[in-house]
Amino acid sequence: MSRQLAHLSDEALVLLAARSEDSALAELYDRYGRTAYGLALRVLRDPTLAEDAVQDAFLTLWRTAGKFVPERGKASTWILTLVHRRAVDAVRREQRRRAESLDPATEPSVEGVEEDAWLRLQRERVQEALRRLPDAQREALELAYYGGFSQSELAERLGQPLGTIKSRMFSGLSRMRELLGEPGTEKSWTSTT
Amino acid sequence: MDLHDLTAAYALDALDADETEAYERHLAQCAQCREQLAELNETAGALAFAAVAPEPPPQLRSAILATASAERTNVVPLPRRRWVARGLAVAAAVAACVAVGFAVSALKSGPSRLVVVVKLGPHRGRGTLQVKGLGAAPQGKTYEAWVIPPGRPPRPAGLFPGGEGTFLVRLGGVPPHSVVAVTLARAGGVRTPTSPPLIKTST
Repeated sequence: MSRQLAHLSDEALVLLAARSEDSALAELYDRYGRTAYGLALRVLRDPTLAEDAVQDAFLTLWRTAGKFVPERGKASTWILTLVHRRAVDAVRREQRRRAESLDPATEPSVEGVEEDAWLRLQRERVQEALRRLPDAQREALELAYYGGFSQSELAERLGQPLGTIKSRMFSGLSRMRELLGEPGTEKSWTSTT
Repeated sequence: MDLHDLTAAYALDALDADETEAYERHLAQCAQCREQLAELNETAGALAFAAVAPEPPPQLRSAILATASAERTNVVPLPRRRWVARGLAVAAAVAACVAVGFAVSALKSGPSRLVVVVKLGPHRGRGTLQVKGLGAAPQGKTYEAWVIPPGRPPRPAGLFPGGEGTFLVRLGGVPPHSVVAVTLARAGGVRTPTSPPLIKTST
């Protein structure tokens, strides 16, 4: 049934969800549930905690869809922000997991994971942009976003002044924004946005 | 603390609780920061796509949709006692239904016809449960399907909200001679059954 909504934009689906159309929520889950789960799993390293974070985020979406303002940003950004926030809250409660978050051995492997072409393209283009960042900026972004470390924790962990951490995060995100906007990436072939 | 400087950290969720609160108060006053945040948020959101994303377990989707649907049925509360009485009558009738590999039960149950079908695929006994005509679960509740292999404890196999239409639950592996059951559980589902089954079929 939800596939009848396949032609609608994410933003239109959020507006339908605000009117308690649960098929719209199902469609949003079908579009972003997997990315949401991958993100939560990357931050939390625990399938049960990751499921909880995703469920909590989608139910928050369902309950607060009426507050979504399309002018302020994309619906997908909002959904992934909800997921990320919940994952970070949970990882800060579960201090012990965080020590492992730098260990590449615990990184979920891409082997054996079936991805659709769109997801793979997205992943490769963001990973490529991350690779092209200066090391210090990439490190700050990765520890903050995937590790769930606060800026003060990062300053302590990396032995740098807080101001340096702030500027690495800002420069890193700004540079990422430029890189993701360059030709060869999604924006160049979706002319309508 | 210069609050303008916190936009990137906020977009990355890298502020502690006090800083977040201070920044959000500032944001309400500062159009420039709101604009910058919209941009940086989008880029931070893109980082989500760099994580390798395995398929989430199917019960996650059904749990989310069942809970959402249960919250929505708020609007039309079901008379609970009558519902439970009807459910138990259904359980007794359905429990009688036995077939090998393919169990079908169709019976009259008040105004709507309840249809329960368990199908077992040829591939390692993977099964699906189809349920039609079971009224929407009351507020804060969900239907939960169980696979009970012989001599083993029940395994939760998925959630569905009930109501209009046919509900399909992918049961995963169904070992030979398992019982497939449906209970009413609290929203979000439970790990072990907390109430007697409403529907019970042998396979």
